[in-house]
Amino acid sequence: MGLIKKLPVYAESMPGGSLVLTSVEAILNHGRSKSLWYLLFGTACCAIELMCTGASRYDFDRLGMIFRPTPRQADLIIAAGTITKKMAPRLRRLYDQMAEPRYVIAMGGCTIKGGPFYYDSYAVEKGIDHIIPVDIYIPGCPPRPESLLEGCIHLQEKIRKERLRDWQEK
Amino acid sequence: MTKEELAAYIQEKYGEKLTPLESGRYDLLYEVSKDNLLDVAQSLKDDENLQFDFLCNLLGADTKEHFEVIYNIASIYKNLRLDLKVILPYDAAEIESVQKIWPAANWYEREMWEMYGIEVKNHNDLKLLLLPDDWDQGFPMRKDWDAPDFVRLPEVD
Ligand code: SF4
Repeated sequence: MGLIKKLPVYAESMPGGSLVLTSVEAILNHGRSKSLWYLLFGTACCAIELMCTGASRYDFDRLGMIFRPTPRQADLIIAAGTITKKMAPRLRRLYDQMAEPRYVIAMGGCTIKGGPFYYDSYAVEKGIDHIIPVDIYIPGCPPRPESLLEGCIHLQEKIRKERLRDWQEK
Repeated sequence: MTKEELAAYIQEKYGEKLTPLESGRYDLLYEVSKDNLLDVAQSLKDDENLQFDFLCNLLGADTKEHFEVIYNIASIYKNLRLDLKVILPYDAAEIESVQKIWPAANWYEREMWEMYGIEVKNHNDLKLLLLPDDWDQGFPMRKDWDAPDFVRLPEVD
């Protein structure tokens, strides 16, 4: 029962007993937040930092995050890099192909507001929130792997706070 | 063949079609007229002593006076490099495609066409390459281009 005592959010033990109570919500959210599989979507220099975070030094896997090459198996899309106007419809399409529930992290200045290409650029989309809804913004050019990890942890917290009701309304 | 030998060879053989331009310490640069372009390109490629069979680069430029189309070509067999420049006035921005001679020109010409609005004749697949599919805001690499949602860098003194 030691483990269960450490998890009062998810489970409760009855006095003297073997009965464990929890809510479907808590179990679902726990599962979702600990197995965020992300879609590889690196379009510019931020992708290098994303790869670095995925590699052994920073080790994304310990958050349960594994990259997937197809949107059908992904829960999360980390938009890492400059999104040009030509790329924007493709990003939208990949997002549409992902199964619910799905989350979006905007990584780097480019995806937030055009970044260094805000001025004097005819080609760059000024922020991906024009195209898809974003859950977490991570500023930086590029953000350090620590910031990306921090962003993912924030996303996990956000997922854990979700209510099933919210999903019904969507 | 050294650079000087190449310059002499070209002067002797193509003297009337290629006009040398100042290029400093870089590769030799020649101006060629629009009408002679295909002829010259074909003979540079077929010439036994030159064999310019490789198009490294094809670029457009807007100098605020006229358009320029620049071809950087190289010879793999003879280890030579050469630049050709065609000058086009604004009101006759039109050039013959060199695709038949160097097939690599295909995408370069598409890009030049969409960015500068230089019409490419006899191109087999002239459609947008880098710009969005529904682009209708003109030619972004022209010096006088402007668009409604284009944010200019503020003046700093
Ligand atoms: S935010 Fe900076 S590092 Fe990231 S893609 Fe844009 S320019 Fe590259």
